[in-house]
Amino acid sequence: MKLSFSPEDENFRSELIAFLDEHCPAEAKKNRDLIGSDCVDEDGIMMIPEWAKQWQATLFDHGWMIPSYPVELGGRNATPLQTMIYLEELASRGIPRSVHFGGYAIVAPSLLEFGNDAQKALAPAAIRGDTVWCIGMSEPGAGSDLAALSTRAEDKSDHFLVSGQKVWTSYAMVASKCFCYVRTDPEAPKHKGISVLIIDLDTPGIEVRPLRHVTGHAEFAEVFFDEVKVPKENLVGELNKGWRITMGSLAHERGGLWVTGVAGCQRAVDDIVAMIKRRGLENDAAIRLKVAKLYAQVHSLRAMGWKGFASFAQGSSAPEHSFMKVATSELQQTLFELGMDIQESGLAITDPAVAEEEGRWQNTFFGALASTIGGGTSEIQRNIIAQHVLQLPKN
Amino acid sequence: MDFSLSDEQRMIQDTARSLFNKECGLDLVRAAWQDHNAAKPLWEKHLNEWVEIALGDLADLALFMEEYGRTATPGEFFANVLAQQVATEAGLSLSGSATVAVAGEDGLWQPNQQSTKHFVPSAHDVEQIIVVTGSEQIIQAALVSTTDVTINEVEHMDQLRPQCTVTVNAMGETADIAPGQWSYCVQRCLVTTAAELVGVGRYLLESAVEYAKEREQFGKPIGAFQGLQWKLVDAALELERAAAAVAYAAMCVDADDADRVRAVHIAKAEAGQAARRCARTSMQVHAGIGYTWEHGLHYWLRRAYAGDAFMGTSEYHFKQLAAELFV
Repeated sequence: MKLSFSPEDENFRSELIAFLDEHCPAEAKKNRDLIGSDCVDEDGIMMIPEWAKQWQATLFDHGWMIPSYPVELGGRNATPLQTMIYLEELASRGIPRSVHFGGYAIVAPSLLEFGNDAQKALAPAAIRGDTVWCIGMSEPGAGSDLAALSTRAEDKSDHFLVSGQKVWTSYAMVASKCFCYVRTDPEAPKHKGISVLIIDLDTPGIEVRPLRHVTGHAEFAEVFFDEVKVPKENLVGELNKGWRITMGSLAHERGGLWVTGVAGCQRAVDDIVAMIKRRGLENDAAIRLKVAKLYAQVHSLRAMGWKGFASFAQGSSAPEHSFMKVATSELQQTLFELGMDIQESGLAITDPAVAEEEGRWQNTFFGALASTIGGGTSEIQRNIIAQHVLQLPKN
Repeated sequence: MDFSLSDEQRMIQDTARSLFNKECGLDLVRAAWQDHNAAKPLWEKHLNEWVEIALGDLADLALFMEEYGRTATPGEFFANVLAQQVATEAGLSLSGSATVAVAGEDGLWQPNQQSTKHFVPSAHDVEQIIVVTGSEQIIQAALVSTTDVTINEVEHMDQLRPQCTVTVNAMGETADIAPGQWSYCVQRCLVTTAAELVGVGRYLLESAVEYAKEREQFGKPIGAFQGLQWKLVDAALELERAAAAVAYAAMCVDADDADRVRAVHIAKAEAGQAARRCARTSMQVHAGIGYTWEHGLHYWLRRAYAGDAFMGTSEYHFKQLAAELFV
């Protein structure tokens, strides 16, 4: 066990920092607590700003988009440890790689793992951000119970005919393609009749309706499919074996999330300490104790993420990582809420002219309410940990 | 930061685990509760020769102490590990088994002028006592024989590791310890205690998980009920967090890293809190059977609470951390 890294790895870090200093646009350095939360048009509907497009492409072209990938996929064949260094450097500066993570973080890895050659060829554009993807998973009747999805794809010999509805689909209003989970065998047990189709969103019969969050912004949408013709070659992987792909995609999502989650918590707790001093509350014993306990959690979670990484890098399972999503998302909510509480009677004031940091804590608190819901609720995460890490029986 | 274990560290962990599993079963623990001499053979035949691990890297010692905690090991080994670490910094050479006497009535390891020292572990089971006195700036240590002091055992929760008050009438020859060296000793001893607490928590959690798989009610294992699963998951999260905090603190102290002061407060606080959480959870999951004296779960519960209290409670270390944050 040691604190420091090898000279090669430290070189990697210096090279990254030099790149960021030279290329990273000011807009990407705003220490966003929630990626993409302010990328909306005047109606509050999500858009991808020009700087974000260019930044993602610049990262790709310099091999800094997904460093572990080869050059043609926007990387530089970095080692797993170098990837960790990369993620921490970006996260500690609050720099996002992209304002829409579905394409590079979930769709591209899934295409590369399960797709045919033509589908694999879609990965570079997904990673560079040239093609924006959304992922059609949740439905009105299939949230936590994703396998209950009922959007139907009928086999019409030369094409699939898709009808149904997706909901809470992030980025659907800015995406051109949907990585869509559909039911191809309604007779089979629910996990065994699901397939994945690539659906172009300009195909006739598709309607995308932006759906506003509790924040007032619309970053996700409802997507309606009414007898949409999808070519047969758009099937990803094997027919009725789509459930495997969901497991894979969620793993991609979780694997790298802890670093960003912990960095977000660290930024929040550091800024809370600063706010407490600014407001002259630093001698309040109750506040001091509360902050110290939260600081300790952030600090320990970072160590826990790295400890899990050590097992992962040595090829063992890393039970620590299973805890990271639920732990960091819940801690983030607690911290943002504390950021409001420190404003005492002003906790509910959102007027940027009056509230601390232009209403940052109120905004991020609302935004963070989504983090214990999306990508598997905290309750589902606890069930998974109970059954897969602690190996308790299924309930 | 790299938490991967070296081959040597893996060996320490494996050897320690099999040693404690083999030599420190529940029967020994029960016997030691009745009469602490029952644990003497474990000390004389096995643990005595492991004391030197206290002189090496704190990261290695922490791995050993975690295994030590897992079996609620009785006896004077813990006191000796503390004594070795203090003796090294004070330049004292021990000639037999030893413990450390420093705390005042508040239990904190802050050198003071009082002649009576409190919370001294295993004082009547060892031959020598390192007595530390002084003030924040001037710290002195002396090696005294247990026959030259007055020792009173104070009844406390964990009789497997008795705690005593020690009244020192004459210090004899003293050695100076620089404040920096003293805080290094204190940090090492805090991480030692925290690592043991992680092991205590591990046993408590693992035994609860095992029991939840076996015990059936309403026609299925109680571990299939969500209410119980989430309780265990939350305890496991707190424990894993503490385990990571302890390993990190050990690395920081070994590397003399600037983050070590915060890291040590966090490690002791998180480990104390996690061990207590696991103790309450394990008791609740074991329910009626766990509440019987005979079952033995209470030995670990006692160690969890006594360990949290030793050298400052979780609450105390969180407050110290706050003092670091709000300078």
